[in-house]
Amino acid sequence: MNLFRSEEHIARWLGGRDPGATISVTKLSELANAWWDDRLAADWVPHTREQNMAILERLGLTSEFWRLP
Amino acid sequence: MDGTDLELRRRTYGFFVENGWAPSAAELGDRDSVLAGWRRLHAEHAVVLNADSDELRMLNPFSVVPTAYRVQAGGRWWYGNCAWDAFGICAALHEDGRIATSCPDCGEPLTVEVRDGRPDDESLLFHCLVPAAQWWDDIVFT
Repeated sequence: MNLFRSEEHIARWLGGRDPGATISVTKLSELANAWWDDRLAADWVPHTREQNMAILERLGLTSEFWRLP
Repeated sequence: MDGTDLELRRRTYGFFVENGWAPSAAELGDRDSVLAGWRRLHAEHAVVLNADSDELRMLNPFSVVPTAYRVQAGGRWWYGNCAWDAFGICAALHEDGRIATSCPDCGEPLTVEVRDGRPDDESLLFHCLVPAAQWWDDIVFT
């Protein structure tokens, strides 16, 4: 789960491996905010799979790649 | 995950955020009881222990060990487990911050300022190699 300068850098880094998923850093920041915002809350309890899937879907990450087990 | 384990998790994270380093089991109470609790939390993906010891490896989004993702936030430098977690540190702390890393391809330094949850350089891309269904098969590799 890395940051890159561009698609060209990603392709070169993959070196022939199958690519995963690429999103903008802006989308990543939105994902991180939704995913981790409550992590230090005193009343934190684990997110359910449904809660996490709802975060992904709200951000348009709906492909099979983003489907949680 | 019962209330006792949630409380242990809360104290573990609290110690880490207050001090900037992870506690040993003995620093949180009876060593054997704490280790047993950490193992249960590890099984629930609420903390991550080292594979070959009972030491903490990840308190997601924080990494207990140095990584390529350094984050300055809340007056301290932290390590994120990955790019996602680096942004997650700012989100969890509710702080602006600075992420310092390098492009895994070319090694060029990358610095991102995070203000109000948004990156200042919106040209960068995030690549996730492992599908979500397999993230926890090997969370360190993921």
